[in-house]
Amino acid sequence: MAKHQLKGGKKTLTNSDLITVENLIKYFPVYSRGVLLKKQVGIVHAVDNISFNIKRKETFGLVGESGCGKTTTARVILNLIEPTSGEAFFEGENIFEKFQSSNKKEKLKLRREMQLIFQNPYGSLDPRMTVFDIISEPFVIHKHVPKSQWKEKVYELLELVGLEEYHAERYPHEFSGGQRQRICIARVLAVEPKFLIADEPVSSLDVSIRAQILNLLGELQERIGLTYLYISHDLSSVRQISHRVAVMYLGEIVELADTDELFKKPLQPYTKALIQAVPIPDPKAKTMKNVLSGEVPSPINPPSGCRFHPRCPIATEKCPKEKPKLINKGHAHYVACHYA
Amino acid sequence: MTENILNIEGLKTYFFTEAGIVKAVDDISFNLKKNESLGLVGESGSGKTVTALSVLRIVPKPGKIIDGKVEFNGDDLLEKTEKEMQKMRGSEIAIIFQDPSSSLNPVYNVETQLRDVILAHQTVPKAETRKKVIELLEVVGIPEAETRMREYPHQFSGGMKQRVAIARALACEPTLLFADEPTTNLDVTIQAQVLNLLNDLKKKFNMSLVMITHDMGIIAEMTTRIVVLYAGRVCEIAKTHDLFERPRHPYTEALLAAVPRLDMKKTLRIIPGNIPNLIEPPSGCRFHPRCKHAKNTCKEKIPVLEEIEPEHFVACHEWQNISLKGERKH
Amino acid sequence: MASNKKGEKIKEKSKRRPASQWAVAWRRFKRNKAGVFGLIIVMAVFFVGIFGSFFAPYPARPNKDAIKPFYKGDVRKPPSWLDPEEPNNFKYLFGTTPIGTDVFSDVIHGTKYTIYVGLLVTAITMALSIVVGAIAGFYGRWVDNLLMRISEVFLVFPALLFILVFVRIFTLTVGDPFLTIPIINIQIPAGLTIVVVILGLFNWASNARMIRGEFLRIRELEFIEAERALGASNTRIIFRHILPNLLSSIIVVSSLTIAYAILLEAAVSFLGFGDVNTITWGQILQENFSEMRIVWWAEIFPGLAILLTVFGFNLLGDGLSDALNPRLRD
Repeated sequence: MAKHQLKGGKKTLTNSDLITVENLIKYFPVYSRGVLLKKQVGIVHAVDNISFNIKRKETFGLVGESGCGKTTTARVILNLIEPTSGEAFFEGENIFEKFQSSNKKEKLKLRREMQLIFQNPYGSLDPRMTVFDIISEPFVIHKHVPKSQWKEKVYELLELVGLEEYHAERYPHEFSGGQRQRICIARVLAVEPKFLIADEPVSSLDVSIRAQILNLLGELQERIGLTYLYISHDLSSVRQISHRVAVMYLGEIVELADTDELFKKPLQPYTKALIQAVPIPDPKAKTMKNVLSGEVPSPINPPSGCRFHPRCPIATEKCPKEKPKLINKGHAHYVACHYA
Repeated sequence: MTENILNIEGLKTYFFTEAGIVKAVDDISFNLKKNESLGLVGESGSGKTVTALSVLRIVPKPGKIIDGKVEFNGDDLLEKTEKEMQKMRGSEIAIIFQDPSSSLNPVYNVETQLRDVILAHQTVPKAETRKKVIELLEVVGIPEAETRMREYPHQFSGGMKQRVAIARALACEPTLLFADEPTTNLDVTIQAQVLNLLNDLKKKFNMSLVMITHDMGIIAEMTTRIVVLYAGRVCEIAKTHDLFERPRHPYTEALLAAVPRLDMKKTLRIIPGNIPNLIEPPSGCRFHPRCKHAKNTCKEKIPVLEEIEPEHFVACHEWQNISLKGERKH
Repeated sequence: MASNKKGEKIKEKSKRRPASQWAVAWRRFKRNKAGVFGLIIVMAVFFVGIFGSFFAPYPARPNKDAIKPFYKGDVRKPPSWLDPEEPNNFKYLFGTTPIGTDVFSDVIHGTKYTIYVGLLVTAITMALSIVVGAIAGFYGRWVDNLLMRISEVFLVFPALLFILVFVRIFTLTVGDPFLTIPIINIQIPAGLTIVVVILGLFNWASNARMIRGEFLRIRELEFIEAERALGASNTRIIFRHILPNLLSSIIVVSSLTIAYAILLEAAVSFLGFGDVNTITWGQILQENFSEMRIVWWAEIFPGLAILLTVFGFNLLGDGLSDALNPRLRD
């Protein structure tokens, strides 16, 4: 296994870290259809050796374009899909080991600590259940709230996410996208988690509703002390909500820094291009000047060396040959580029 | 008024669904000057797409254009026969849709799709159509056009598919192009490529462009004038600069304050409530249930679009009493 | 003051009963005239099946050879209302057969067998389909592959031929025409039950493939993943979330399967492979086929009964499909 990746996780592992991810790899085999058995014809390098840590009560942003592996990272941390290799820790405890052990109680306990909010609030609610049933579902699974208190607790959660008590007896199809996202958040909060992964929670919502949900997430962080992993392709919302940000490209982290630092002084050419490509809602701002040419290559056969080299404006002969390490350039600003 | 290529007046398009009549476009008026880039901004259900479909007269069932005038170069399109309209579509007015993978036919290769559009409107010998197809693909920036034109849509990436869709829309050099959220499904870096391409092509083909989007960033980048729609009605029409500097309609103002910006961190202001149901839209001004400036008149009377300063129109009863200054302070 | 107002609002809003998906579907179904017509036919068929023996003019009869002593003299009588010599228009509504049985009574007594066939074949078919479809859909990989290959084998076989062979082999072994189920003390026709079981065993393949597909679709929906993230077990996910969402498809397919099963049994009986001891509609057709030119009424009326019943179940199925899966309908 490659050793040249960020080892910061372990070194800085102190009490302030809630989540630590080390050398995480997830490959998906690609099959061709056979008559009875499938034949493996390739490997998708979805997540390729990434490491990072998330501090308590922090919002950690993960940005990148489609197919860069950000969603896979989230699914792997929650053990919704199994990692190929690597480690992830929650409060110092090995997540993958715990999920592989047969201790059902421990597994459920870990499930309660970490939760996920989805992009699509239309698909992530069971259409045949009332809001009450949806929000009390975690009580059925984890049995941490006695049945006599369900009603009270559901109403409490509804209020917390800005919905009304009478909404409890309705069905999901009666709600708008923003309200459904609130229901999703209420369901997730029902297990009283410490760590929440928000996977593009506002992408499918209308512009005027997005701010509602982003602000709600911020308020909940202050009130309950939640830690977030915020995943999005929308740089503006990442900037808005995150304390630290990691930029992913083709399964690898190419830059990681404090939000302001990253957006004001991006060092990696890809990060720079990404930031410049975002149109700013102000006709006076000058954007989209240095547009990146080409497209994201396939993660089945990623380019050698620095994966960004075929599109990089400053690439040299060295770039396809040698993979740049993710190096701390001061102020905990990590960059993977030979020329940053 | 002769410089207006498009003049929409009192357009009403309703959808007659099982649940009731959806007033998707309810009395919308605006115009488009020659060679202008106009932005149609709005959220889902604002009627921006239906407006475009109405101009082309391709409103899907159970939708129907109820009333209004759509003047294209002085002719009312709503009075034309279906046959005349067929000739206009593609050759005079074209549209690019949001999802290129469903707007291209998967069973034909790219050459066939482009050729069909060309042959539908022009009589060109076969050898020349091929030349033209290659030319078009090169114009929209598809490398190795000669080999790639024999490929099928699924062999293209999302960004490339959108380029093909643009090539198809431009095949007959239309004078008016609608771009309906052309980059919503694309990645940021690809989006920038496609937007730049659209800008270049607009100049090259001398087109008027109507950019339909919900993204305030794209609108700021791409347009010179903006029409803001809310729940099937026009809220505000202004030059891009004016609109971003001095939004006069409370909805425009609130929308700008609710959108995060990449170049700075700001406090997001919330617009309370949800997007109204268009079967039973709010009375009077449709924004009043969510508007913090709403008075009683707003509930009762529909505000008319008035010109409050040159080329700045607002449909709001209260615009004079609202002080919006300071909202755009950086 | 504020809390008071809020309380009132809650009260007012909660008066409106929330519409469950079933209520919404029922409302949609009621608006579909063809579907309601189908439902009425189906309800009529059930009514006749259950209460038919109370109003049939003549009692149920055993098989062709055992009947000869009865009804002497009234052989080959046309429907009374067509017969000028018969003063009582209602004596033989559908006429009589060459052996002197009343066709009207035969059709009425046959109805219960039709329902028996339809329901039992469908129950067997659907049970098999759900189990196979769910196993294939849930486990995926080689289990899925294996089960789907087996289902393909069943699909490419000329099923009717195999059914006929098996029916002939197994019905020959039957001794008593009727079996009595112990405890609940109900008589079931032995030969017909064998036909039913064989039909059920040969029909599951296409339904199983449909259910597998739906299963796969629902399994990939985000709310299933959300459940998994909440810590729900596999059994809970399958039984509480996937299967209830499959229910609408299962209902629709069941309705169509009933129609198909009735048709298939009629075909088997008509070809002379059915159970001679139970006079199903197909059996009536078979018995009188040799003298069809004379006693056409003994063929037309049972034929119409089959047609109407199958038609009814098909209409019902289509109506249910429209009501339960509205997204398929544009």
